[in-house]
Amino acid sequence: MIDEEERRVSRLAFGEGWPVLGTSLLVGTTFGVVARQAGLLPVEIIGMSLLVFAGASQFAMVQLLSESAPVPIVIASVLFINLRHLLMATSLRPRFEGLSRTRRVLAAFFLTDESFAMATRHFRRGGRGLAYYLTFAVALFAVWNVATITGVVVGGSVGDPRRLGVDFAITATFIGIVVLAVRRPAHVVVAITAAAISGALALLGAPTIAVITAGLVAPLIAVFARR
Amino acid sequence: MIWVAILGAAIATLLTRSVPFVVALPIRPPAVASRYLEALPVAIIAALIGPAVVLPEGSLTHGAEPLAAVLVIATVVWRRTLLAGVLVGVVGVAFLRML
Repeated sequence: MIDEEERRVSRLAFGEGWPVLGTSLLVGTTFGVVARQAGLLPVEIIGMSLLVFAGASQFAMVQLLSESAPVPIVIASVLFINLRHLLMATSLRPRFEGLSRTRRVLAAFFLTDESFAMATRHFRRGGRGLAYYLTFAVALFAVWNVATITGVVVGGSVGDPRRLGVDFAITATFIGIVVLAVRRPAHVVVAITAAAISGALALLGAPTIAVITAGLVAPLIAVFARR
Repeated sequence: MIWVAILGAAIATLLTRSVPFVVALPIRPPAVASRYLEALPVAIIAALIGPAVVLPEGSLTHGAEPLAAVLVIATVVWRRTLLAGVLVGVVGVAFLRML
């Protein structure tokens, strides 16, 4: 049942969300290009965007798979990157009490950093109902997948990736994600420590466990930091 | 094997998103756990950068990748957009590798 109010709220979600959707279009296209350049098949790349639907995790998967990392390491890395969703979902839960269990899981599938931020802002200003969240979250899913397919097509037609520097796009993407994700001063120290530990472990000949070890140890700094 | 990784990652991700919607957690997560979880994605993604910068394609860098990484950091701090950083990184590393 879509009433006039829900239609108005859905339009509002597009009106306020289009800059975020535009950014995702560009990032998703970049993902398609670098995943294709890393040697993944189009069906695998598109499957990833349809089933996993998590930006940073998908870039991480491409990096780890291209290094032939063991499958459990790949899955564990994705799990750890996404554990933050537990906090977001816990915060949104009261708004979803009215839905059946199946619908709650369906709504949760579309939960991302972006849809959480948009929904939280809407609820804080007194917004009610789920139309705003669902409109934006599903639109983001559509944009992400269209962008992925676009990137896969473009990525298949770019020449020698190493000569053109395209192989560095994924590393540059990680650097950009980290710079934009740093919320407190302690996170700067966490990021530098994590990169240093994993770099050192890789140099010492332990690339398989480098990422996951450094990634799990470095956040302890944020736990013990005063602010 | 890639599909095992994709399906495993999909299930792991859905669990992190849906568990709090389905199971009522008895207590609010303690502040210590929140601080750890907030820093975790930054740490894992930063940990992916380290080896890629010092050992690109498995062999020791000649300096192009670390320099390009600094250029990317500066660009993203300045412009606050991911895409500008990626463009500067790709063009920068291609140029630096020619030197």
